[in-house]
Amino acid sequence: MMSLLGDYTSSKLSVFPKSASSFSGESDWVFHFISIVCVVFFVPIAVALFGFAWKYRKAKGEPADSQTDHNTTLELVWSIGPSFLLVVMFYFGARGYLDMRSIPEGAYNVGVDAYKWGWGMNYGNGVIHPELHVVAGEPTKLTMTSKDVIHSLYIPAFRVKKDIVPGRFNYIWFKAMEPSEKVMSDEELKQLAAKDKEENLSWNYDERQCTPDGYTFYDLYCAEYCGTNHSEMQTVVVVHETQEELDAWIKQYSSRGPDESPAAYGAKLYERRGCKSCHSIDGTRMVGPSYQGSFGTMREIVGGDPVKVDENYIRESILNPKAKVAIQQGVAYQPVMPSYKGQLSDDDIYSLIEFIKSLGDASAAEEASESAADEAAETAAAEDADAEPVSVE
Amino acid sequence: MSAGSVPSGYEVKDPGYPTSQENYLTNSKGILSWAFTLDHKRIGMMYLIGVSTAFLLGGLLALGIRLHLFAPDGILFNNGLFQWLAPDKAPNDIYNQVFTLHGAIMVFLFIIPSIPAALGNFLVPVMLGAKDVAFPRLNLSSFYLWVGGAVFFVMALLASGLDTGWTFYTPYSTTTDSSVILATTGAFILGFSSIFTGLNFIVTINTMRPPGMTWFRMPLFLWATYSTSIIQVLATPVLGITLLLLIAERTMHIGIFDPEYNGDPVTFQHFFWFYSHPAVYIMILPAFGIISELISVHSHKRIFGYRFIAYSSIAIALLSFIVWGHHMFTSGMSPITTIIFSALTFTVSVPSAIKVFNWVATMFKGSISLTTPMVYAIAFIFLFTIGGLTGLHLGTLATDMHLHDTYFVVAHFHYVMVGGTVVSFLGGVFHWWPKMVGKMYSEAGGLISAALVFIGFNLTFLPQFILGSRGMPRRYATYDPEFAPLHQMSTYGALILGVGLFVALFVLIMSLINGKKAPANPWGGATLEWNCTSPPPFYNFERAPVVGDPYEFGDIRWDTELDRYVKVEPEREVVPSETPAETPAHAGE
Repeated sequence: MMSLLGDYTSSKLSVFPKSASSFSGESDWVFHFISIVCVVFFVPIAVALFGFAWKYRKAKGEPADSQTDHNTTLELVWSIGPSFLLVVMFYFGARGYLDMRSIPEGAYNVGVDAYKWGWGMNYGNGVIHPELHVVAGEPTKLTMTSKDVIHSLYIPAFRVKKDIVPGRFNYIWFKAMEPSEKVMSDEELKQLAAKDKEENLSWNYDERQCTPDGYTFYDLYCAEYCGTNHSEMQTVVVVHETQEELDAWIKQYSSRGPDESPAAYGAKLYERRGCKSCHSIDGTRMVGPSYQGSFGTMREIVGGDPVKVDENYIRESILNPKAKVAIQQGVAYQPVMPSYKGQLSDDDIYSLIEFIKSLGDASAAEEASESAADEAAETAAAEDADAEPVSVE
Repeated sequence: MSAGSVPSGYEVKDPGYPTSQENYLTNSKGILSWAFTLDHKRIGMMYLIGVSTAFLLGGLLALGIRLHLFAPDGILFNNGLFQWLAPDKAPNDIYNQVFTLHGAIMVFLFIIPSIPAALGNFLVPVMLGAKDVAFPRLNLSSFYLWVGGAVFFVMALLASGLDTGWTFYTPYSTTTDSSVILATTGAFILGFSSIFTGLNFIVTINTMRPPGMTWFRMPLFLWATYSTSIIQVLATPVLGITLLLLIAERTMHIGIFDPEYNGDPVTFQHFFWFYSHPAVYIMILPAFGIISELISVHSHKRIFGYRFIAYSSIAIALLSFIVWGHHMFTSGMSPITTIIFSALTFTVSVPSAIKVFNWVATMFKGSISLTTPMVYAIAFIFLFTIGGLTGLHLGTLATDMHLHDTYFVVAHFHYVMVGGTVVSFLGGVFHWWPKMVGKMYSEAGGLISAALVFIGFNLTFLPQFILGSRGMPRRYATYDPEFAPLHQMSTYGALILGVGLFVALFVLIMSLINGKKAPANPWGGATLEWNCTSPPPFYNFERAPVVGDPYEFGDIRWDTELDRYVKVEPEREVVPSETPAETPAHAGE
């Protein structure tokens, strides 16, 4: 019976998404068992309800055929009888649940940082990426915490969900069964990436049905309401066939390549570390100020004199976002950005600053004034200090 | 015996038309006579108008949600009109505020007071054969607290809106810059309104039952109201405390709910659901009471299993206090706590199932009139059964891990709250409307409204079960394109449901304009409210009514000449009312 239902659930007509973890079979089987019990109860009730309503409808004033008002045996039977089925449901539900709570020893650990509105999957050695990459057939444990409000990690294909509560760690584990497939060649991917860059678009997972690395994926959603972009707080799970494949994937993100310019690496961090979910690079007002042409401009802030957007301001805004909250056209931004202290290395921050500079630098025009010259000297000094790729962790 | 004849040996006891022409609507005039009235019937009518207005507002917000979700990227709030209305808000923000206010208004301003405060206020004293509730002034103050709470909600809406979801989860609610304090103050005040109503009904039912009306000769609507009142009085103070603590956390950072000040956000969830799960039963128990009356009266048959239904109401009221944890299965509670809450949750399904079986058994071999209230009651049983059964998928832990916080949950609780409470509320309004206003409405119009509500409702929410099991999370302003067809189906359903509700409103309003005059007992009911004229006089009864069995239909006959139901009394030995028989005379016939 289980295998039969298993076949059914993989079809397109199924009420479930693809079944892709060691839990899904059990969870779906229990779901179908309960559903069958429900149908077995519901159909007779509905038939009796509509059948009686039709059969016993009578003209006004005709007395009822019977005035029977109780039958203790019958009532006890239908009160107590179904209870046994409830016990069965409870048992299977609790059994499946205990499996989900019993994390196997030696599971592959990935840290999860949830924030408004994105995901940072921490693979160690400073590799933090929004996509969750795991190995097929091996248990994976997620150690999750939130930087701001409650989020919830939900992977429908794995049938697992767990709230992510600020101020504590919550854990979840699963064993992915179906590896992702590589569906796009590196050549095609390069062309698409170049096209996106030209049109200033980010990778569209839904349209292309694969990741920027060319793999098929499973959806990962935030399931606990967390504000403005709750519905955009989505990422993907990629299941690699072997640990070596996963390690190779992780390695390419470990740090800035020797030939990579800071601005180009900053652009990757912008995509990968969640900046883009709140800051546009085309001037659109989103949750936070746009990066476009912002460098070197004067910015109004809440509760203080306008400040210049320079290296120090950006650095402070990344590490302590609530210190100087920007105002644009008289409307203050919400102070919702989480701190990236300890999350970005100095080289990462430097790369991001260079990336923002590459989107338009207004400071050149102001260099005539004395104060600007002073600041430029200051920032130059700051740059020297930042240039050393020393980790702050 | 044929319909319409009064058999020999029976004496006609017909209240007929009122002896005096004055009734509670006409005995005094002017706006002040309503504003300062202590008459439970007028307070009930004011509540009815108030909660209906809140329902209209909450319903329009629901239509806004459904229209926005017609396309994966959202439609309605992307429109330039909304950008012009709220220039500093993104479409997602508007959506979040709309779903929050939809939930908060529907829960706090509509569903909780709907049946107890509107219908309950009108009916409880009349069903008891009493002149009024025990504390008429408390009753009026309860209404004005409701108005006060509503004003705070409107202020929150006009200030900077509310975007926390109706559940006010911390630390989102302690950090957002929307009007959390105004809204929670409103909910706090509404809590007192609810407590006052509950307290009043408990005292009224305990102390004002007439001689002869023992607990087990009370109409089941009163049992349901009594059970509801117990929950209102015991659970609502916890909501008040929770909301006060939330306000204190937000303003003074006392460090109870916000992890930034060493608080625990999950504590808030325990506090909140300790009230809000019993509150679910404040919403549905009175509906059970209405359905017990409607099914029995329109089947002209004794209610089946009176004691089981009565006891199950009390059982639900008590069990409702120990299952709150099932809202938090994924929150990271310890496995043992989670499993205990799952086991307890299954126990609540038993008393609800008992009621469904008993209602269907009541219809068996009855004399069923497919009137508007009866059709609504049948729709209720169908929809509530779906809502109840799908609760099993959510109470079961392994499947809840997948379904929690998806559209499956949204569909489940709308089947219970709308398919259950709202449909029974409509059935109850159609059933007692002739009594409340003294006018009959168009049966055809009423039946059309019931059909549209039934079809529209199912089309709205059946697809949402599949959306949920396929993994669509709730409270999403935008969604993956694969979910679009089911969302569109749901939106069409919501429009049909909306039309059905407007038809119901239209039919009731038209009855005031050109409805036929209602007789005292249009349906052939046996409870006391059908003994007084329609609408009732100021003091409800011209003379103290004789308390009989609330489900004894043998004494009520249709008189074709008079074109109405009349009460006849058989020449049999009448059981003295002071010592009521344990087994009613017609049992086992």
